[in-house]
Amino acid sequence: MLHVENLTKLYAPGESGGGIRDISFDVTAGEFYTLLGPSGCGKTTTLRSVAGLEEPSSGRMTIADQVIFDSTTRVFLPANQRRLGMVFQSYAVWPHMSVFDNTAFPLRMLPGKRWSDADMRQRVMRTLETMGLAAFADRSAAQLSGGQQQRLALARALVAEPRLLLLDEPLSNLDAQLREQMRTELRRLQKEVGVSAVYVTHDQSEALALSDRIAVMHKGRIVQIGTPHQIYQQPNNVFVATFVGRSNLLRGALLEYDAQDRSARIATSLGPVLCKARDGAAGPSPSAALIRPEHVVLTPVAGSGEPGLNRFRGRVSHVAFLGEATEYVVQVNDVDILVRGIAGHYDGSEAVNVFFPPEKTLAIAVDEV
Amino acid sequence: MTIARGRSRSSTIRRHSPQVIVLTVLFCASIVPPFVFLAYSSLHELDPSGAFGAFTFGHFATIFSSRTFNSVLVNSAVYSLGSALLALVIGAAQAWLAERTDASLRQVLYVASIVSLGIPYVLYIVAWILLLGKAGPVNAFLQGTFGGVGPYINIYSLGGMIFVEGLLWSPLAFLLLSPVFRNSDASFEEAASICGAGLFSTLRHITLGMARPALLALGLLVFIKASESFEVPALVGLPGSTRVLTSTIYQRLTLDMPPDVGSASAFGVLLLVVMAVLLQIYGRVAAQTHRYQTVTGKGFRPRVIRLGRWRHSAGALIVAIPFVVVVVPLATILWAALLPYYQPFSIKAFPLLGFGNFEQVLNSQSFRGAIVNSLVLGGAAATLVTAIAAVAGWCVARRVPGSRLLDTLAALPLVFPAIVLGLAFLEIFVHAGSRIYGSLLSLVIVSVVAYMPYGLRYAQLGVIQIHPELEEAAAIAGARQGGAFVRVVLPLLLPALISCWLFVFLLAVRAVSLMLLLAGPDSQVVAVALFDFWNNGQIGELAALGCVWTAIMTVFSTAFLVVARRYQLPIG
Repeated sequence: MLHVENLTKLYAPGESGGGIRDISFDVTAGEFYTLLGPSGCGKTTTLRSVAGLEEPSSGRMTIADQVIFDSTTRVFLPANQRRLGMVFQSYAVWPHMSVFDNTAFPLRMLPGKRWSDADMRQRVMRTLETMGLAAFADRSAAQLSGGQQQRLALARALVAEPRLLLLDEPLSNLDAQLREQMRTELRRLQKEVGVSAVYVTHDQSEALALSDRIAVMHKGRIVQIGTPHQIYQQPNNVFVATFVGRSNLLRGALLEYDAQDRSARIATSLGPVLCKARDGAAGPSPSAALIRPEHVVLTPVAGSGEPGLNRFRGRVSHVAFLGEATEYVVQVNDVDILVRGIAGHYDGSEAVNVFFPPEKTLAIAVDEV
Repeated sequence: MTIARGRSRSSTIRRHSPQVIVLTVLFCASIVPPFVFLAYSSLHELDPSGAFGAFTFGHFATIFSSRTFNSVLVNSAVYSLGSALLALVIGAAQAWLAERTDASLRQVLYVASIVSLGIPYVLYIVAWILLLGKAGPVNAFLQGTFGGVGPYINIYSLGGMIFVEGLLWSPLAFLLLSPVFRNSDASFEEAASICGAGLFSTLRHITLGMARPALLALGLLVFIKASESFEVPALVGLPGSTRVLTSTIYQRLTLDMPPDVGSASAFGVLLLVVMAVLLQIYGRVAAQTHRYQTVTGKGFRPRVIRLGRWRHSAGALIVAIPFVVVVVPLATILWAALLPYYQPFSIKAFPLLGFGNFEQVLNSQSFRGAIVNSLVLGGAAATLVTAIAAVAGWCVARRVPGSRLLDTLAALPLVFPAIVLGLAFLEIFVHAGSRIYGSLLSLVIVSVVAYMPYGLRYAQLGVIQIHPELEEAAAIAGARQGGAFVRVVLPLLLPALISCWLFVFLLAVRAVSLMLLLAGPDSQVVAVALFDFWNNGQIGELAALGCVWTAIMTVFSTAFLVVARRYQLPIG
């Protein structure tokens, strides 16, 4: 559907100047594709380049085999001819128009098409109904609440059946509860309409919940592309591992590596840790062991045996009860290990054993960023 | 019940702060007498010595039965509307090009507007009369090109009045509209672009649509300013017998023999009513301008529209507008200033050029006196207004009990067109029978009354930007109210007060109509001197004095804009 090839746009020369470099990715039909990264990583620049609101300095882009940008043949299709839908971070709902007129605008702008009032009305109202806004059609857009403006922005983006839906942090202006509700609804609508979507966010939980695939961006480059599962469970470098989800990272020298079953032993400050490299990885060197807080197993000292392979003795230093789980900080040899425990309860300053199951402990490279 | 009322009243009295009481008395004393005197003299016979006679409705009756009254009303309406539309079109086009597009040479517009703020009205109007008059270069060129007799353009007409007044207001329209376009989040326009709208659809549906309340408010403002304007009606209108309300008042007072103060006052009362209605409407419309302000997320970016192939045409327009609005009139004045006797531009006049007029103006005691008087008047009025407005503005912004009345009182002078306020104070000073009439002090008093509303608005907006918690923190830290005001509010308010001072200064020295009836031989000011020069046909002196004065004023207007833009304060 969308094909992006070696897209580059530099605001200032040098690594620190911002912009994007050599961005390539493909979005398939009906896919929900997310560009995830911290602010300033270039994700919004990428999206705006796809939209036609920015002109990249080099690269090539096609939508459904139509070339919309090609620096070598000097093709740049302006935004208003790309037939896209876009939801802006600020919604950009026009306050001087009614809800109906906002939604009807893209239809009125369609080239070479004259709409009868009845057709137009039917089409707009159908879209508004899908968004639950039909009752507000005649109201001024400025009178809508944040969540309603959000849905209106979505209605406007979808009404003309765009080839691609672009979403620029659309949920960031909503309060927490509404955000979760809209997240579910957004996903449902996108699947229902069947439109391909490119979604930009800095919120990793949004990205994991919504996406078919995620491209993690850092300093103007894409550092990993994968499904939410792959991104979370098999990050290919330290940046992805620490940006997506929380993690305990233990740096150290690689002691041995078995290419057959991808198992590695890393000398960390706690002692040697046995872990596994991700699928298809070349030898991880130099290395770090990574384990998610929810995979760390906490056991009482009594009855769980002496420290051994991946098992270390520590002391609980902080306890935070979160409701569905309890979070602990366990100090092992002056290293803080974050643990998320579901069962059992430990008091502060209690001595405990922590265990890193080798199959859940990932050996990753430090220098791939 | 009685007890309760007594109690609440005593507590209200205690809560009224002394500064509010003092200010209320001061404002009442300054604005009630003009109303009373104007109304009184419109309803009484006046004998030639100026003493009041019997009560009468005769002045109003004469006005309403006069055959010219309808045409005066129609002229006033057409003139104000036309000027507002012209100023709006030119100002909006400039503001959009400068703020929302990548047109080349955008900075030219700001420079031109700053310079134009310092040009005295009379000088500007004279420049256009010289350019477009019967013997002017434009008519000569048209006659030369198309042949025939008779001037092609008659500046002494309603159209000529609209043209000059519209141009006169266009720089201010530009300066007031540019923040409207600047502060509009570009994503509104980008959204239209994504929806398939091209450059002109976006401009029409989105940019202008969203700016509509601001455009309407500004149009109304210029309409009001044109309705109460005096300079263009007097200099351009009267020679062609195109009369509007303000010039009729002037005519009754100074051109008719004997002066008809009663009839002029009656016209003044009518104009006051018109102004009151217009200002009421303006208040409503202006309150609506914030209606379209919406959430702009963290992604706010004011961004420019790529004009593409239009970029250079737009650049040409950007140069052409200030060229017509500022450069051509100033060049005409400079030409006139360098000639011993005025004649239209021609090559053979070059040997005559010299600095004679400048020498005469700068060596003359009375012209130097006028310059000094203007600076003293502007400085004194600006300082007084700023000082009073700082305290009053704080009271109004912090809603001190009794400040609502203060706010209303302070806004009342706005309903007085300058010429009417001048007339009202003329009557007060004459009847006061003191030596104040004709003194520089009288001009300072009138200026303070007239410009207090503007000063108050600046101070009030300035205070609103200062969070009350800053003062409360000072109170918690042990400061008393006065101490908190001096140590916390004033330092933070300083930028607003500086621009307030400069704004009032520029208004006070530019005004002709307010001073015209009041200035005496000892209190000659530049603006009135320029007016008199024109009436006496001393074009060379007028132009030379005007050039010198414009140069001085440009320094002040530049300072004003620098301060105002730096601290994001309003310009109008």
